Amino acid sequence: MEKTETKTVHACPECGSHKLIRDYSRAEVTCDECGLVISEDIIDTGPEWRAFDHEQGEKRGRVGAPMTYTIHDKGLSTMIDWKNKDIHGRDISAGRRAQIYRMRKWHKRIKVADAKDRNLAFALTELDRLSSHLHLPRNIREGAAMVYRKAVDKRLIRGRSIESVTSACIYIACREYKVPRTLDEIVEHSRVDKKEIGRSYRFITRELEIKLYPTSPVDYIPRFATELGLSGKVQRKAQDILEGAIKVGLTSGRGPTGVCAAAIYLAAIMEGERRTQKAVSEVAKVTEVTVRNRYKEIIEKLGIDVKI
Amino acid sequence: MSESKLGKYKMTVQNVVTSANLFNRVDLVKAASSLDNIEYEPEQFPGMVIRLDEPKTATLVFGSGKLVCTGAKSPEESRRAIFKIIEILKDYGTPMEKEPDIVVQNIVASGDLEMKLNLDDIILTLPNCEYEPEQFPGLIYRLKEPKVVLLLFGSGKVVCTGAKSEEDVIKAIERVKKSLIEEGLA
Repeated sequence: MEKTETKTVHACPECGSHKLIRDYSRAEVTCDECGLVISEDIIDTGPEWRAFDHEQGEKRGRVGAPMTYTIHDKGLSTMIDWKNKDIHGRDISAGRRAQIYRMRKWHKRIKVADAKDRNLAFALTELDRLSSHLHLPRNIREGAAMVYRKAVDKRLIRGRSIESVTSACIYIACREYKVPRTLDEIVEHSRVDKKEIGRSYRFITRELEIKLYPTSPVDYIPRFATELGLSGKVQRKAQDILEGAIKVGLTSGRGPTGVCAAAIYLAAIMEGERRTQKAVSEVAKVTEVTVRNRYKEIIEKLGIDVKI
Repeated sequence: MSESKLGKYKMTVQNVVTSANLFNRVDLVKAASSLDNIEYEPEQFPGMVIRLDEPKTATLVFGSGKLVCTGAKSPEESRRAIFKIIEILKDYGTPMEKEPDIVVQNIVASGDLEMKLNLDDIILTLPNCEYEPEQFPGLIYRLKEPKVVLLLFGSGKVVCTGAKSEEDVIKAIERVKKSLIEEGLA
C-alpha cells in the first residue's frame, strides 16, 4: 500500500481533512479521517513491473547488480561485454572487432585508477578467496571489506602485508557478527603466520577504534554442537552451563574455545548424547587435557552432579 | 633503596636492562681472541656477549664502546656488572677518560595483587586495555604515566614491564590497585 497526498483533490468533501490516501492496489482515493471513498478506478502512473516470462523480467529491470564493498570499485563501474555483438544483436565486423578488443583491454586497465585502487583490487580478491575457504556468508565478507576499506583510507596498510591485514579484517568481521572463527582457523587458509595476523588485528582495532569485547564461549556453541551432531536440547543445556560459569568468573583468563568445549561435553552427557573428550576437543581445536581441566572446574564451581 | 616498598606490594624485580656508553672504542677482535667465556660471532651479530657469574648478567659489548647489560636483578647490580666489564675491557681500547654514561632502560617486575581478578569485567570498565583470551590469558593494561605496561592475570598475579625505575613500578601498581578498587573490580 502506498500513502501519498493527492494533489488534484486537496480536501475530503465530507470532513475537510487533508489526509487523503491513494491506494493503488485498490485504485481508490480514500480519506484517512472518515473513510470516504473520494475517487475510484484511478490510473496507476507508475512504471510497469509485471513480467510474464524471464525475458520480460530482464527488460523490466531498471537497475544493475547491487552495490558491494567486496569489489574494489563497489561494482559500480561500466563493463564492455565480451560478446562481439552490437546493440541489435548483429555481429561486429572484423575490423571493428579488433578495435573493440583493444578498448576492452584498456578499459580493464583503466578501471584500476590509482595505487589505492590497485591495493584494494588485490586485497579484496584475497579477502574473497579466504572467506570462500572459511565458508563465510555474504554479510561477513561485506563487513570485512568495509573494515579493510577504512584501514586503507587511514593508511594503515603501509608497512604491513596485504595478506595479514585481510586476514585480520576477516577475523574482526567474524567477531563483530558474533560468529567467531579462531585465529587458528584463519591461519590454516592464510599465507601469513598467526603472530603476524594477531599483530595486524591489534593494530587495526586500536587505530580504527573498533571496540571488540572478548569472544564469549556461548558464541561457539552452535558451531561446535552442529559439528558433533548434537541436538538443540544439548545446545540449550550447554548455554545454561556457560551462563553459570560466566557468572562465577570461570571464563576469566581462559580460552573461550576450551570453556565452550567443556560445557558441550558436560551438556552432552547430561542429555544422554555422550561424545568422547577426544571428539569434543578435536572439534574445538583444543587439547583433551584442556577439556578435562575445564569441565572439572565447572563441575566443582557450579556444583553440577553428573556421572562421567 | 625502594626494596622494602616493592616488598610491600609483593613485587620483585626480575630483570633490569641498562645501557652504557664508555666514550671509547673497544677492539672486539683482540678482546675476543684473548678472553674466554665470551661469545663473538661478527658474521651473525656485531656485538660480543660477556656472561658474568657474579652478578649473574649477560652484557653486549659493541665496537663503538657502548654496552647493554641484561639480566641484573636490581639497578645497582647492573651498575656493578658494568664496572666489572669495564675492568675486563681495560686492555682492549684506549684508557678510560670519562665517567661512563649509564642509563636504566627497562625494568621488569612481577608480583601478586592478592586479589582475584575478573578480567571479563575489567576489560569493560578500564580504558587502554587489551584482553584476548584466545591468544593470551592475561589482560594487557597500558599506563601513560608512568609509561609502563602491566599484564594482569585472573589469579591476581601481575607483571610490570617498561619501567625506567623502581619508583615507576611502585607508582604503576599503586595506580592500578586504586583504579581497580574504585571501579569495584577487585
